[in-house]
Amino acid sequence: MPMMALLASPHPPTIFRALSCKRNHLRPRITSPPPSLLLLTARNLSLVLARSADGSADAADGNMEKKDEAVPPTPRPLESERNKQPHQQQQQYHHHEIRDGSVVKTQALKFEDTRWVGGTWDTRQFGKNGRTDWDAVIHAEASRRKWLEDHPEASSMDEPVIFDTSIIPWWAWIKSFHLPEAEKLNGRAAMIGFFMAYFVDSLTGIGLVGQTGNFFCKTMLFATVVWVLLIRENRDIKNLKKLFEETTMYDKQWRATWQDDAPGDSKK
Amino acid sequence: MASLSTTTSTAAGESLRSFAGLRRETRILRGVAAADAPGSQLRRRQLGVVRASRTSPRLNGRKLRVAVVGGGPAGGSAAEALAKGGVETMLIERKLDNCKPCGGAIPLCMVEEFGLPLDLIDRRVTKMKMISPSNVAVDIGRTLGPDEYIGMVRREVLDAYLRERAAEAGASVINGLFLRLEQPEGPGGPYRIHYNEFSPAGGGAGERRTAEVDAVVGADGANSRVAKSIGAGEYEYAIAFQERVRIPETKMEYYKERAEMYVGDDVSPDFYGWVFPKCDHVAVGTGTVTHKADIKKFQAATRLRAKDKIEGGTIIRVEAHPIPEHPRPRRVLGRVALVGDAAGYVTKCSGEGIYFAAKSGRMCAEAIVEGSENGSRMIDEGDLRKYLEKFDKMYWPTYKVLDVLQKLFYRSNAAREAFVEMCADEYVQKMTFDSYLYKKVVPGNPLDDLKLAVNTIGSLVRATALRREMEKLTL
Repeated sequence: MPMMALLASPHPPTIFRALSCKRNHLRPRITSPPPSLLLLTARNLSLVLARSADGSADAADGNMEKKDEAVPPTPRPLESERNKQPHQQQQQYHHHEIRDGSVVKTQALKFEDTRWVGGTWDTRQFGKNGRTDWDAVIHAEASRRKWLEDHPEASSMDEPVIFDTSIIPWWAWIKSFHLPEAEKLNGRAAMIGFFMAYFVDSLTGIGLVGQTGNFFCKTMLFATVVWVLLIRENRDIKNLKKLFEETTMYDKQWRATWQDDAPGDSKK
Repeated sequence: MASLSTTTSTAAGESLRSFAGLRRETRILRGVAAADAPGSQLRRRQLGVVRASRTSPRLNGRKLRVAVVGGGPAGGSAAEALAKGGVETMLIERKLDNCKPCGGAIPLCMVEEFGLPLDLIDRRVTKMKMISPSNVAVDIGRTLGPDEYIGMVRREVLDAYLRERAAEAGASVINGLFLRLEQPEGPGGPYRIHYNEFSPAGGGAGERRTAEVDAVVGADGANSRVAKSIGAGEYEYAIAFQERVRIPETKMEYYKERAEMYVGDDVSPDFYGWVFPKCDHVAVGTGTVTHKADIKKFQAATRLRAKDKIEGGTIIRVEAHPIPEHPRPRRVLGRVALVGDAAGYVTKCSGEGIYFAAKSGRMCAEAIVEGSENGSRMIDEGDLRKYLEKFDKMYWPTYKVLDVLQKLFYRSNAAREAFVEMCADEYVQKMTFDSYLYKKVVPGNPLDDLKLAVNTIGSLVRATALRREMEKLTL
């Protein structure tokens, strides 16, 4: 299924994610115990919380028995509902434990960063030589999103997220993402352009100046630029092909009704 | 009836372009021909060429008999339109108080088109909150006028109401379980349907019965037995999981006019998680096609994301249901037609199906009424195919647009962030709601469209750039 593959691709295997998370020194200033202890403490924390929320040890015990029940101690009715459908997932997805452990951490450790103030990045704290260091803002937001992906947080009415990526000026994006690659793309486009011009010249005898005035050549130039922009690596070709299959699949599914119709149309 | 003839005339006009439609639409034209003078000369000539209905025999001394299997919105509206059109109709529903797990959102135009009384609507949602993976929340619905809203209904109420109307129009509503369908022995012969009729007192497996009918409308949902009996083929389906949670009064206040949609890989890899307000509780759920086995994990994630707002709630009901992703390969065979979920009419992206079910049921019934000349003639497959053609022509663009949206924006967390960013735009909100509420794709202002395109690309580029930065972080 092309669609499945594409949709699935964004997840890196969870194990990797968890591993990389452990040695993720980039995590913004979160006061936490050493990573190796995190899981353990997290579980203990959940027990503590369960007790304090319910005021009874029973619920906490129940919680301990089921390993994948690490989702935090929301009030009891919800909890008991979950008790009805225990375990199932655990066998199919072994890496769950790690993931669920991290969910608990979310409760214990919310995303915190001194520069994250009132639901947005405090740009005054990103100053460098009297100007805002946008690269650092981009980096900080990326690490926040990364953190949230591993530790989803409850959306809150009291602390809405108001950070909007569009406050970062367009040139900052270009500077940090496009420029490193621009050199390569530019060079590639120039080389292709040069050789194309050479071949066209040698085949047709139209010189470079003549070519630039020619509609066909202009179209070709445009096509080259698009090509260079779209296909940067070999795997892009595969992705584009997949994309095309994906976009046409739905049409095929709908058209299926009419397929047996075309030949049989005259028989009725 | 007035609205009926206008829609058919436009459909006929369009059909001139496709040759397949040409021969099928001709019979409709006879009814309309007198009304529209300019084109009638040309069309009458074509009438001379194709006369499918002339060949279908008159039914002597009786009316056309049609069985509608399934009493949801599709079955209810089909049965009503059939009975009103003079066809002898029986409606078989297995559970008369069935409350199907369903979001229960209906667009405004459905209230009008189906003349629904306003007290059927429990809640009027005017604020739709979209929440991105990084918890950016956007309120959609600022552009709504004072009388515009998304109606939330309880399915047991809506379904019962539509069935009641069918019964009033003259359809006989039978509480029974449809078992199977026997194909007719010769051309024009009756279909024999087998079903268990439950006694009004309830209890037991019911009494086995058979009935002979001339045509069957399959409106029996995703696990359709009618579809199976005509070899309609399978469709891919999504599984939707939903918990009804009764939350404290103070928390319910927040959901009074608000519905929430959560997007993110944690909530669903290819759909969204939702909190929809119901009459006195909320429905919290999520759905997926690609990772069905993980549905409970996604549900836990949805609950977590909505935690602050539903904390302290009691789960009063847990439900799950398959949702079709695309139509079945075959929707009509002989004198059997599928409508609603049985046919597979659920949109991508929003997962909406009630309106399209009701609409397809009605369209199918109208095609039968017209083909049979108010129940006086036998019908054939061509008549039923007319309904398919009309439905596809009318709604294919809607389905396609939503499919593209889903593929574009539910692809990854980066795309979802961009999607939510885009939804903050008032123009987007206006266009979305207009097309949702009125089921018409209204052409927008080209300048605004261009601006929107640029903004969307901007959002996508930014989100993708951040995603690349995030990938660097892990490695």
